[in-house]
Amino acid sequence: MNLRNIIFIGLVLLGVVIAMVPENTTKPYKLTAEQMLIEVQGAAEMVIADDVAHWLISKDPSLQLIDVRTPDEYQKFHLEGSLNIPLSTILSSENRDYVDQGIKMNVLYSNGTIGSHQAWMILRQLGFENNYVLQGGLNYWFDTIMNPQAPSVTSADEEFAKYDFRKAASGVFGGGNAETLTAPTANEAEKPRVIRKTKKKAPAGGC
Amino acid sequence: MGPLIPQEIIGADWNLFIAFVIGIGFGFVLEQAGFSSSRKLAGMFYGYDTVVLKVFFTGAITAMLGLLFFSLFGWIDLNLIYVNPTFLGSAIVGGIIMGAGFIVGGFCPGTSFSAAAIGKIDGMVFIGGLFIGVFFFAEGYPLIEDFYMSGSMGPLKVSEVLGISGGVVTLLIIIAALIMFKLGELAEKRWPRAEY
Repeated sequence: MNLRNIIFIGLVLLGVVIAMVPENTTKPYKLTAEQMLIEVQGAAEMVIADDVAHWLISKDPSLQLIDVRTPDEYQKFHLEGSLNIPLSTILSSENRDYVDQGIKMNVLYSNGTIGSHQAWMILRQLGFENNYVLQGGLNYWFDTIMNPQAPSVTSADEEFAKYDFRKAASGVFGGGNAETLTAPTANEAEKPRVIRKTKKKAPAGGC
Repeated sequence: MGPLIPQEIIGADWNLFIAFVIGIGFGFVLEQAGFSSSRKLAGMFYGYDTVVLKVFFTGAITAMLGLLFFSLFGWIDLNLIYVNPTFLGSAIVGGIIMGAGFIVGGFCPGTSFSAAAIGKIDGMVFIGGLFIGVFFFAEGYPLIEDFYMSGSMGPLKVSEVLGISGGVVTLLIIIAALIMFKLGELAEKRWPRAEY
């Protein structure tokens, strides 16, 4: 048998093999377990409630709140400008453009942090960037931003500044302690803590 | 891990350089295979030489097998591979025009540059015609724009249209290619040319 026929038979055999095996075995998860462990330990996905409040008040256009609770819960209460993507639909194709993008900063929230973290874990393992979790969830949001507790008289100045900001914010969001305050200007020096990662360019094709 | 450039394992700045190296290799192989003779490509139409068919189909099935095996081994993510969008109407008409150009001119765009590089005048004339064609296409674009954009089907794969796996499509194309190779060789015996 000459070389050419051997190559022909080889090609056909390879074709038979490739026709039999399951397609696209490339893992959909882009991050390995080790990489996830590092991310989880670093807790870089957390954004604190005060920062989110600050961005909401200043109408930061790069902020996108995402409510991962059920539509019923979303109807009852949701943060201003938030998008409802229930956890069960987080992988659906119509939500893909919201959770896999390189422009906005998505902040996921649920009542506590379990739902938002579940969503974040899935999205992060798929390799999506710019998704964050509201620290403490809505419960913490109510405790701190909507109903701030006055610090004790011996507290540090920063505690009072934080309290003033929260009281002012709660006024904006219609919380329990709505009072007229002069405070907001005093907080301008405080820059929101943004934990943004260096963005990778989205995979783009070309010929 | 792959594809290397969309995943930024190799920087996008290397794109053109890699294309340059591959281009030189491609031109070299075309010249080595004798494709810088216009008779080679015309022979495909008249049936006396079917090397062109063999070369390009072997290239296609090698690449298909390679991509699918790389995907199987987890070396490449096929979802990140650029798939050229299909415009059915313009693809058919463009294919007919291009095929007619191959027969009349005896070159494809790649082989014409190979031929010109070794000093063949017909190759240079072909390149001149190529630029004239590009000029008229660009100037006349508004007239044909509607047709040019018609039949848009997006980035489509044969396997998606037929609803079968990419592996089965590959096997079918390999078998089809081998049958075509055999028919080509029969044609070479049927319509031989002593010297060309």
